[in-house]
Amino acid sequence: MNNALDIKNLLFKWNKKDGFSLKIKNLSIKRNKKVIMFGQSGSGKSTLLNLISGILSPVSGTIIIKDTITNNLSSNKKDLFRANNIGVIFQQFNILDYISPINNIMLPCFFTNFKKKNKKFFYNRAFNLATKLDLKRNILLQKNSSQLSVGQKQRIAIIRAVINKPFLIVADEPTSALDNKNKVNFLDLLVNICDTEKITLLMVSHDTSLKKYFDSYITLEKIVQK
Amino acid sequence: MKILINLAFQSLFSRKATVFLTVISLTVSIVLFLSIDTLRLGAKKSFFGNVKSGDLILGSRSGEIQLLLYSLFQIGNPTNNISWESYKEISKKTEIAWIVPISLGDSHKQFRVMGTTKEYFQKYSYRKGQKLQYQFGTHFQNTFDVVIGSDVAKMLNYQLDDSIIIAHGIASQSLHDEFPFKVKGILQKTGTSVDKLVLVSLEALEAIHKDWKAGSKIPIKGVNNKKNFKEQDLIPKEITAAIIKLKSPITIFKIQREINDYEYEPLQAIIPGIVLTKLWQIVSVTENIMLTISAMVIVSALIGLIAILYSTLNNRRREMALLRIVGASPRTIFSLLLLEALIISFLSILFSIILTQLLNFFLFPILDYKYGIYLENSFLLLKDFYFFVIVLFTAVIVSIFPALQAYKNSINDGM
Repeated sequence: MNNALDIKNLLFKWNKKDGFSLKIKNLSIKRNKKVIMFGQSGSGKSTLLNLISGILSPVSGTIIIKDTITNNLSSNKKDLFRANNIGVIFQQFNILDYISPINNIMLPCFFTNFKKKNKKFFYNRAFNLATKLDLKRNILLQKNSSQLSVGQKQRIAIIRAVINKPFLIVADEPTSALDNKNKVNFLDLLVNICDTEKITLLMVSHDTSLKKYFDSYITLEKIVQK
Repeated sequence: MKILINLAFQSLFSRKATVFLTVISLTVSIVLFLSIDTLRLGAKKSFFGNVKSGDLILGSRSGEIQLLLYSLFQIGNPTNNISWESYKEISKKTEIAWIVPISLGDSHKQFRVMGTTKEYFQKYSYRKGQKLQYQFGTHFQNTFDVVIGSDVAKMLNYQLDDSIIIAHGIASQSLHDEFPFKVKGILQKTGTSVDKLVLVSLEALEAIHKDWKAGSKIPIKGVNNKKNFKEQDLIPKEITAAIIKLKSPITIFKIQREINDYEYEPLQAIIPGIVLTKLWQIVSVTENIMLTISAMVIVSALIGLIAILYSTLNNRRREMALLRIVGASPRTIFSLLLLEALIISFLSILFSIILTQLLNFFLFPILDYKYGIYLENSFLLLKDFYFFVIVLFTAVIVSIFPALQAYKNSINDGM
């Protein structure tokens, strides 16, 4: 199992969007590598990440993650597989304001094997990761997350993506709305934690200046078949 | 499940203003329904509580509902009286356990005066066989003693040994002022029409009407004054009706037929329970309309609940997308929406129980005091729990639509 992700002969069509389709003959990402994918707006970057994470299903082709053909899994198994193996970071970090930061972090655990015996382990892991990312315990234990700063939200989003020890992290333009200082901070933290936790990272962006943080890059337009 | 419940609670709390208004609107509609139902049942209980005493009501031939209303509820006026001879004749029947005569026609400050015998106080029973009890005093000992119901005492502020004057007729200005009565007893509250009665002996009624012919006073010199009525024959000539209790209920129809076929005078006997049921069937149209209106209010509040859930769906698309990404299935999203509707309904039910009990505690005495509507202060009945289950069930059913929309969104929405 050299590759973390293998995509073969993928075809996806939007029912509602007339004419939009995504065809990828072949795409592989090696294990423990950090890859950035560039593409124009509307080229299908987010659609591809949704296909990889199992939110969307292709018309044909195969998506293999951790030796599992994920698009053949039933809906429930797909959801469980995603929660156990794929960490996701959104553009807006998507923190639920009405729950505490610690519960935001624990969300992926809630929908997986969050048995009582694991509970302590996951909470400890969350607090340890937070310490590594310079987030104090009392911040995680706030009643809700509405008062968090952008920097704190970034770090919480990273911890949430890695809390379940995922095999793969997909990040959808997480730096697009950040200023330069925050962008650098965020990427340093993300890359560092992926290295430490041995997690494969696939991030999409249209900012080519970010290449230096990654092992390799892909241009979506080059792998998409017309 | 615990996690979903926590999420639902916290999500609802984050939208507390709209959720609060939804809960309030549902609470008010549930309270309205419960109150109308309580009033309906209370009124029914109060009415049926009056008919516990006898098996038959004897009266002159007229409408059976009319006889029931004037004899037991003192509503309306009797069309005719029955003669004392006929009453005595019928009371000789061996199947009769007891018979109590009543005589109506006079009033005291808008309260009805009812002539009867001492047996009335022993035999009259209401709801669950309760007997009349005295707050103060006892039944009449002398001819011009009077026993008053609790409402009469309360409204007119009467006490024992107070003197009262009876007026001739229902709304007449003519007073029997030469015959003052003395309050000998004040009855305890019964929640029946007895509370509004001024009870005198048949002999007293006969005595005060000696000088009256065809509704007018014709004084006969030296005959009628308080000093000499002992010398007169005070056996009544007529009574309005009589309450009959039979030794065995099996003989009800036999005695009823015999009275209806009584050849010397046009009489009728009615079975009060049956007549009241007939009357209630007429009234029930109104009560059904009221119940339907209050049920519609609940439906409109539940539609408000769907509107709230629908209106927030678009704002919550990112929230749902996040939950999907972290592993929640579309079914979980569906369940979350249903759970929110359930929590809103459950809270509404909880608040409505508290509010209803508070209303019972504070409003029932006012209804009783001001309007004479006596309602028992009972906690929730089994039927109320069925009603709550129906509300919860309906809330879940109507919430399926926004929940399905959230389910569809969560399948289509990605990052």
